[in-house]
Amino acid sequence: MKSFLLIFFCCLSAAAFSQDGKKVQFVGGARSLISHGTLDPEAEDTISRKKSTGGYALIDLGFKINPNAQTEILGMIRIKNDFGGFWGAGVTFDVRQLYVRGVAGKIVRYQIGNIDYKLTPYTFYNNDFDLQMNSSAALRVKEDVNNYESFATNNNTWRQQGAAVDFGLNFPKVIKEVKFNAFVTRLNPSNLANIMERLYGGGNMIIKQSEFLTVGLNHVSIFDLKETAVGTPAYKNNVSTLTLASTLNKENWRLNINGETGFSSAGLVEDTNALTDYFVNAKASFELKKIGLTASLGYMNNGADFRSFGAQSKRINYNQVNSYFDRYTNDQVLRSTSMYDLYNDPTYYNASISTGIMVFNPAINNVLPFGVATFNRKGIYTSINYQDKKKFVNLDATYYRLSEVRGQGTSEMKKFDFAKTKLDINVSNMLDWKKAQTINVGWAYQATNRAPSPFGGVSLTTQALQVGGEFELVEDLFLIGNYSYFMSRGNELLAVRDVDGTIVNFTEYHIQARESYYAAGLRFNFSEDVYLSAFYERNGNSDSGLNPYALNQVMIFYVMKF
Amino acid sequence: MKQYFLILLVGTLVLSACRKDEIDKFDGPSLTDIYGEFSVFTTFDVSLDSVNFTTGETVYFTAQFSKSVDWKIKITGQTSGAIKVLTGFGSSISQSTSTWIGEITEFPIFKNEICDVELSFLNEPDVFIDQVKIIGTKTNAGFLISDFESGFNAGWTTFVQSGADMDFQIKTDAFAPENNSYFNMAGTVDWDYLIGYVYFKASAYGAPHYPLSSNPNNEYFNIMLYGEPGTTNSIMLFQFTEDEDGNGGHSTASEDMYSQEILVNWEGWRLISLKYSDIPCLVNGQPAAPNGNGVHNSDKITSVNMLHLANPASGFAKSKIDYMIFTQNGPLKP
Repeated sequence: MKSFLLIFFCCLSAAAFSQDGKKVQFVGGARSLISHGTLDPEAEDTISRKKSTGGYALIDLGFKINPNAQTEILGMIRIKNDFGGFWGAGVTFDVRQLYVRGVAGKIVRYQIGNIDYKLTPYTFYNNDFDLQMNSSAALRVKEDVNNYESFATNNNTWRQQGAAVDFGLNFPKVIKEVKFNAFVTRLNPSNLANIMERLYGGGNMIIKQSEFLTVGLNHVSIFDLKETAVGTPAYKNNVSTLTLASTLNKENWRLNINGETGFSSAGLVEDTNALTDYFVNAKASFELKKIGLTASLGYMNNGADFRSFGAQSKRINYNQVNSYFDRYTNDQVLRSTSMYDLYNDPTYYNASISTGIMVFNPAINNVLPFGVATFNRKGIYTSINYQDKKKFVNLDATYYRLSEVRGQGTSEMKKFDFAKTKLDINVSNMLDWKKAQTINVGWAYQATNRAPSPFGGVSLTTQALQVGGEFELVEDLFLIGNYSYFMSRGNELLAVRDVDGTIVNFTEYHIQARESYYAAGLRFNFSEDVYLSAFYERNGNSDSGLNPYALNQVMIFYVMKF
Repeated sequence: MKQYFLILLVGTLVLSACRKDEIDKFDGPSLTDIYGEFSVFTTFDVSLDSVNFTTGETVYFTAQFSKSVDWKIKITGQTSGAIKVLTGFGSSISQSTSTWIGEITEFPIFKNEICDVELSFLNEPDVFIDQVKIIGTKTNAGFLISDFESGFNAGWTTFVQSGADMDFQIKTDAFAPENNSYFNMAGTVDWDYLIGYVYFKASAYGAPHYPLSSNPNNEYFNIMLYGEPGTTNSIMLFQFTEDEDGNGGHSTASEDMYSQEILVNWEGWRLISLKYSDIPCLVNGQPAAPNGNGVHNSDKITSVNMLHLANPASGFAKSKIDYMIFTQNGPLKP
């Protein structure tokens, strides 16, 4: 029996927390921003303020304590000072991060407090924000700030508060290894009256049969703790999925087959009419190793009633009111949220999971507004990735051809096209220059159509282009520049939903929006994690041609991570 | 390679399990209903020209439209003025949504008469007219105390004060909400609340107790009450005396009497329905403990006492009653 299984992780985990033998370390980051912006509306405006100047300095100071080789404690506080505020005014103190993690009994790895977690794209996943393409230069600086503020990682995790454990088992025969992951987090506390304590828990079991085959069983559940409030029915959202990954690796080529399928239920615990549905998503990828070319073909079918709020919550909260030059013109019209605002204002970003169908902006993302787990979508998708050996070019292109599974208001179904491309050009590698010269291009196109017979016709098109460059002039000093363009035009019939998510009506949506952006400036890298960047940017915006305006802004960022 | 083909097979099976198109379903309200043009596909029709509700016949209405609409059918008796309203939402009107068993929505009750039937819509101007003839009115299950069509029962007890303009009698005229007759009560008594009363004793029907079940939750007392326009001072007091010891009489000192006061402060006819178990014990109009066993013994009611009261300072009081009936398992649906 003793050779039957072998528990692992202990050595690896213990080493990971030893931190070079230091008992206490300081970690964190610091940032300072100075900005000056002007609003330039085309219409007469003698009421609104046209200029805005501000800035802040903040430091996130964390104490990482290792009382022993198996335990790590992190506490991080934030001190923020808006420029012009001293002696208490404009100074805030917050707790930004707290956790304890370690390895228990050299077997189980655990983390309590703040955890960054994800499972699969259909269970627990923080999707990239809408039409995120290939941010670079000035936009990358702003995107990094937004991600840092909303605890978004490049790994699509959600920042939650709770506990997580994982451990693994090794087997000598039949199965190579089995990994177990489990978590429970708190989505909202009870108000001790009519709102119940809501938790989110789940986990998975990943069975690696061999290098050839991996199978995963995943389950997540959003649920209310009964009797933590009075007179309120308890809610639940359960999602169970099966993942499969298979790889056939040969000398010149590799074939991957990945898939996930599962089902969900959502509704009140005692409701016999809770929504239930299922999904299938499978993809085959073929890679030619010598050429550096990978081509994929996939199929997805997400039921109209599939609900998985851990994977369908949006990173952007479109209920957020614009706080930067919020009103303009003599009619004091509200300035609607633009693509520029999504880069400019970190408060648009969610750091929590929403139990319910979130609001989305059809002009920005109407095809997969809730990520790959978006309900009521089916169809094929294909992608190509090309990376040449000299790493001169990296091309990533994906195209979705989808339709609804079930119509809305009519049995006629909407058809969706979604193409997105990322192209990275490394000029330095091509010309053998020592100084880094990179150009990044991103392009996205979305189209939604429904036949106009006899009514309910939909035709909505969105297109976005981003071009950015970073050119090293002298060592560590970069010239940075951006150009981006966004347009959306057409019409859509948007579903109006009640609190349960049931469609109760439709509203007509018309848009004729155009947006252009350019930026130019410098960035100086003091080290890999410390830089100073200053740039000028201009954003021209025409929303339905009614109230065009331009925003000009000079921004100076100092960013440090330690 | 064998394993690989196995995986491919499993993958193919998973894909083939994908759902069929839900081509006949859609989420939300129909766009046709929101944006479509309204027209009538099948004209409005009545299932019977003449209907006999007494024999259990029913009548229904049919029509089909191009879209779902809020529809309303109003049936008005040409003679009685009785009104029945049927409403619904949908793209058709059928037997399941429009069956009429002869009941009313507004008083009076239908007579044997010709009724005008009008179909209209909430957001459409179209109106359709038809007619149906009632040749037998709806009958109601229960124990009828009186509809005053057969005159004053000798077994009833009555007392009328000697005030001014006193009028305590059965009348036969167009005011009757049911059939042709009702009981009229009017007068001015400036020295006492009591204007007059009628005690409807069970003995008037040949038995010491009303023939009701012993379950007070199933027994309902119903009466049609008329509020005279211009007066709001009539108070109707209904007393239900019980014979708990089974000696054939009621002792106020040792047996229960439950009472319900109703201030008649409305105009026109109204149906009052009381579940017997809900009727309280009152002393001088205030809730009090019953003098007997405190149990609503609906099978031991000896008398239904109806007292017409009014504040002596309020002057002339007038009201009418009709169709007193005990029903089982629910209120009267006239």
